[in-house]
Amino acid sequence: MELDRDLVESCKEALLKKGADKAGCILVVQEKTEFTVNAGKLDLLRTTETGQLSLTAIRDQRKGSLTINDLSASAVETAIDETLGLAKISQPDEANDIAEGDSPKTFESGPSHPDLPLMQERLTDFLEHVKTHHPLAVLDQLIFDFTRSSRLFLNSKGVDLQEDKGLYALSTMFSSKKGKKSASFNYTGYESQNLEKPLDQCGSIHRLISENAKQIDTEVLDGKFQGTVLISPDCLTDFLGMFTGMLGDYPLISGTSPYKDSLGELIASPCLSLHSRPLDPEIATGSHITRDGYIAQNTSILDHGKLETFLLGLYGSKKTGLARSLNNGDCWIVDPGDQDFEDLLKGIDRGVLLGRFSGGNPNENGDFSGVAKNSFLIEKAAVGPALSETMISGNIRDMLKSIEGISKQRIHFGGAVLPWIAIGGLTISGK
Amino acid sequence: MIQASELRKSASFFHDYTELRVQQNKSVEIALVNGDVMRNAVNTTGGSSARVGGCGAWGFASAPEVGTKTFERIVERASRNAKVLAKGRKEGSLPETRTEGCFDYATEKERMGQKELLDFARGIDAYILKNFPNLQSRVVVLRNLDMEKSLLTSQGTEAYSLTPRSLIYVDMSLMSEGQPVNLFEGFGGLGQFEDQFTTPESLFEKLQIQYEHLVKKAEGVHATAGPKECILDADLAGILAHEAIGHTTEADFVLGGSVAAHYMDKEVASPMVSLVDFAHHAFGETCPIPVHVDDEGTPAEDTTIIENGILKSYMHNKESAAQFETAPTGNARAFLFSDEPLIRMRNTAILPGTSKLEDMIASIDDGYYLMRPGNGQADTTSEFMFAVVQGYEIKNGKLGKAIKDTTISGVAFDLLKTVTALSDEMKWVATGMCGKKQPIPVGMGGPAIKCTVNMGGR
Repeated sequence: MELDRDLVESCKEALLKKGADKAGCILVVQEKTEFTVNAGKLDLLRTTETGQLSLTAIRDQRKGSLTINDLSASAVETAIDETLGLAKISQPDEANDIAEGDSPKTFESGPSHPDLPLMQERLTDFLEHVKTHHPLAVLDQLIFDFTRSSRLFLNSKGVDLQEDKGLYALSTMFSSKKGKKSASFNYTGYESQNLEKPLDQCGSIHRLISENAKQIDTEVLDGKFQGTVLISPDCLTDFLGMFTGMLGDYPLISGTSPYKDSLGELIASPCLSLHSRPLDPEIATGSHITRDGYIAQNTSILDHGKLETFLLGLYGSKKTGLARSLNNGDCWIVDPGDQDFEDLLKGIDRGVLLGRFSGGNPNENGDFSGVAKNSFLIEKAAVGPALSETMISGNIRDMLKSIEGISKQRIHFGGAVLPWIAIGGLTISGK
Repeated sequence: MIQASELRKSASFFHDYTELRVQQNKSVEIALVNGDVMRNAVNTTGGSSARVGGCGAWGFASAPEVGTKTFERIVERASRNAKVLAKGRKEGSLPETRTEGCFDYATEKERMGQKELLDFARGIDAYILKNFPNLQSRVVVLRNLDMEKSLLTSQGTEAYSLTPRSLIYVDMSLMSEGQPVNLFEGFGGLGQFEDQFTTPESLFEKLQIQYEHLVKKAEGVHATAGPKECILDADLAGILAHEAIGHTTEADFVLGGSVAAHYMDKEVASPMVSLVDFAHHAFGETCPIPVHVDDEGTPAEDTTIIENGILKSYMHNKESAAQFETAPTGNARAFLFSDEPLIRMRNTAILPGTSKLEDMIASIDDGYYLMRPGNGQADTTSEFMFAVVQGYEIKNGKLGKAIKDTTISGVAFDLLKTVTALSDEMKWVATGMCGKKQPIPVGMGGPAIKCTVNMGGR
């Protein structure tokens, strides 16, 4: 499908002509080519075309939004009327607004078409690599795709931004089997604008599949203790998600964010710097345009432990009177620490090397608990047996202040660059 | 939308095993945060897809359009995709299934407009504001999803379905000792809004109960970590049935390393426990997510997974049924028009027993009554974790203080062996959404069960 600029222009004009004070339109067209491996066998090639038109109208500070994917003339005309109808019945809110822009810009990244023969070659080589080097591994599912997408943002306050992007993505879920015994499944992913690397060398795939074979036999921890948890880069994304979830529109508008009065304050260990950098050369997935239609910029969320920004959209910003985030708050990069991974391990008397965290969302106070999956006991500075039925509990706010060290080594996932982080004082409990 | 019979003329494009599906998902979402309309949106996603091939070499293609030319194009593209993978392979054939039917759960009442829906949400919000003024925040979300599908297969199935679901979520939060404490509740289930909800007033009593639980939770205590004798109320029994047992017995997970691969016809639970994935009706009523024909064209039938403690069956699509040399069970479901069917649960439930809940509580000296789950996850080993957002201590056979948010965990096949009582009340949870490459609405249910659980906490 092609990006139809005329369609978007005409929608914007029609919304204004029919009574909107402010109008915004976003058209996204996308084509995906996807190979799927199930139970170790490549068994599906899938191609999908999608187009999606989102319309927003604001009239007398009342807002309506509607999304369709039928782009026929009659469907679009109906959608325009329905969007205005939604705005009419909504309630006035001064915070309802659209982004402001100046000159038109187009951003391009990644290839325009997939290199299908090379995709197949990379995938075949990877399946062979797994057979040869990880004989106990079972690839429950692997999805390897290329997505070409084009997005056009137009609105009545001068926004005219287009982004054309091509991206390869790999995600895989796997476990290991020996006789009748199975390891807990694990999963990981990687994204890139090219196919330069063999898949086994991408992100943490090789390491995690290797570790998984050692997780077939597990031990149940006896009792409960306060210890250090060495969080792996894959698992770190879960905890960063819990933290950044407290900085968004809903918790700040409702006043339930524990950080609502903490902007500019030291809320984490000074050794932690967390950035959101969609435009960083190390990031393949970054968007040049925010969800509201602003040009995205790189920003720091935590600078040496100090809270630098909330992650508010335009509505949240207007509602709270706080500054809007300069990007979507994703594409995390954590600065490397000053210790080798092995040295971090040497500093831990008793704890857990946490491979995956299966836990509930933290409550509004930041308390969390969950199961340590794909994890190993650490005793006297050495990695011990794999664990089962072991729970970790703590509080996100306390965790950020209890960092004992950050590794020099980091994993490049394409959408994030993350190290290992050692955190002290967490409750680790077995049976 | 196009009816299945209207697809019939496109059968001439089929040369191999083929499924042609036309689908539209229409969703409405209204969200009020402290009375402000944060979301007032409608989303319609529709189009057509074709899947061609089978047994290890599938091709799939979709387009956001509907019509004979589109059908011809996507069938041809799906065929090409299948051929890319089929080179040099010979992996057997798929079982034959064929059925016809129209399964329409649309309301016969006059439809409400978006303004009336918004007013409904406002009515709930106004009641909360007036009656519970000490809340720190309140969220009211109204969410409807209509999934409408027409399917034609080369084996001769022609089926149309409209499966709507209408839900209202309410989240209340108050401050306790300077910290926020919240409790959410979901209402609704199968049917369009008019069939699920009459007036905001019909929910007021439930909101009052939710608020009272919240106040007790704010004054509550932390659970003590470690194994405890517990009563899992129906909501938690349902998520246990779905997450911890159900997923391990989906045939694709069995092939992918699930521990259940070695348990067929073996004792995996107390003989009191039977677990069924219901297709469309159970206990004389329609299930929360009725599936009459799956997205491969197989008539959907109940799957008895555990019968009196013995593992009896896995859930199958056509391909896994061929591999296991059994019949497909009608569990192949797709979420969007552009999604391929995957093996998914439908309405998974532990069957009720004969005990009374109050007797079960009275039989515990030191334990917990766990009422409502948050999110949950489970493993191919059946090790699970569920957040618990509402529960009470049990001391000397009586309910005690409320507990704050906690987590429970364990190995489900081990837990089911500790079951010593099942209540005689069956309750469905109709708000479930399962994630497995694609999201999909599911039903979960069960009675209250008495068992030993590993509590998180402090």
